[in-house]
Amino acid sequence: MGSTPYQVLLDALDPGARRENGPPELDHAPDPWESSMQATCECLSWRGTLDNLERRHAEDALGETVYHDFPVHTRSAVVTAHELLDRGVLTEEELRARMDAVRARLTLQ
Amino acid sequence: MTQTHDHNHDTHTPIQSSSGVNEFEVLELAVRELAIEKGLFSAEDHRRFSEWAESIGPSGGSKLVAKAWVDPEFKTRLLADGTEACKEVGIDWLDPTGVGTPSDYTYFYVLENTPTVHNVIVCTLCSCYPRPVLGMSPDWYRTPHYRRRLVRWPREVLAEFGLHFGPDVEVRVHDSNQKSRFMVMPMRPEGTEGWTEERLAAIVTRDTMIGVAQPKADWTATSSPSAG
Repeated sequence: MGSTPYQVLLDALDPGARRENGPPELDHAPDPWESSMQATCECLSWRGTLDNLERRHAEDALGETVYHDFPVHTRSAVVTAHELLDRGVLTEEELRARMDAVRARLTLQ
Repeated sequence: MTQTHDHNHDTHTPIQSSSGVNEFEVLELAVRELAIEKGLFSAEDHRRFSEWAESIGPSGGSKLVAKAWVDPEFKTRLLADGTEACKEVGIDWLDPTGVGTPSDYTYFYVLENTPTVHNVIVCTLCSCYPRPVLGMSPDWYRTPHYRRRLVRWPREVLAEFGLHFGPDVEVRVHDSNQKSRFMVMPMRPEGTEGWTEERLAAIVTRDTMIGVAQPKADWTATSSPSAG
């Protein structure tokens, strides 16, 4: 696990949405994408790309350091992407391009 | 087949995209789509896993409790090592491809209720829940009101569920976290002597294993409360 954050992931955090210093996220209600992310994590582990235990360790390590500002409930998404980038499975360019495409699709009226 | 509606769609609020797109939802979709395109797993894998994870109910927990009620040696094993004892009823917390867990790589502790100790579980930080044995958590379990108030006023909150304890009963609140999950083993109620494990499991409902209810010999969660 590399300890250098990826800019494409840092850009996902709204500058105004910093992690609280007190008990975190008491008012956070889980979003549907979080369940979907869990299923993605399980599939990655199941099919041998990213072991669940390795991911959980990476969430602990990176979530408390380079991605400290991110809300706890976003860790699985951010750290899974970080690990896939680290392993060369994804590139920053293709991830950024796909995020742009997804964003455009979701906002299409 | 033609279906007809008996309500007026003109009165519905149209579904519209919100102006603010959640960037983490975007990230999740992007990672999933790229992973599927690269053949790391299939869309069918993801759909099946989601469907399965959402369909897990509390029957695993019910089996654990019923088995512990009739088998003292199993009860000892269950209280000593919940994760390992779960395998005896077909639940492997460490195997996401079997009857395992949606993303929970954790320790699992079973908490035994006694005449003088009542346990109840919560997750104050988010919504951690022992999903491999209880399925998806109820809506109220995830509300800030339950999470915030249970740790401060447990007896009052339990009373709101209709559960009242006198001063002779100690109420213990167990706060779940990323690494630890808890489940309550309620006391076996009177009137169940000689019952089979299967019959006992039917009265061990979800709420009794969260700790906001106690099992009753004449109540299962599969029948309507107003039916009888």
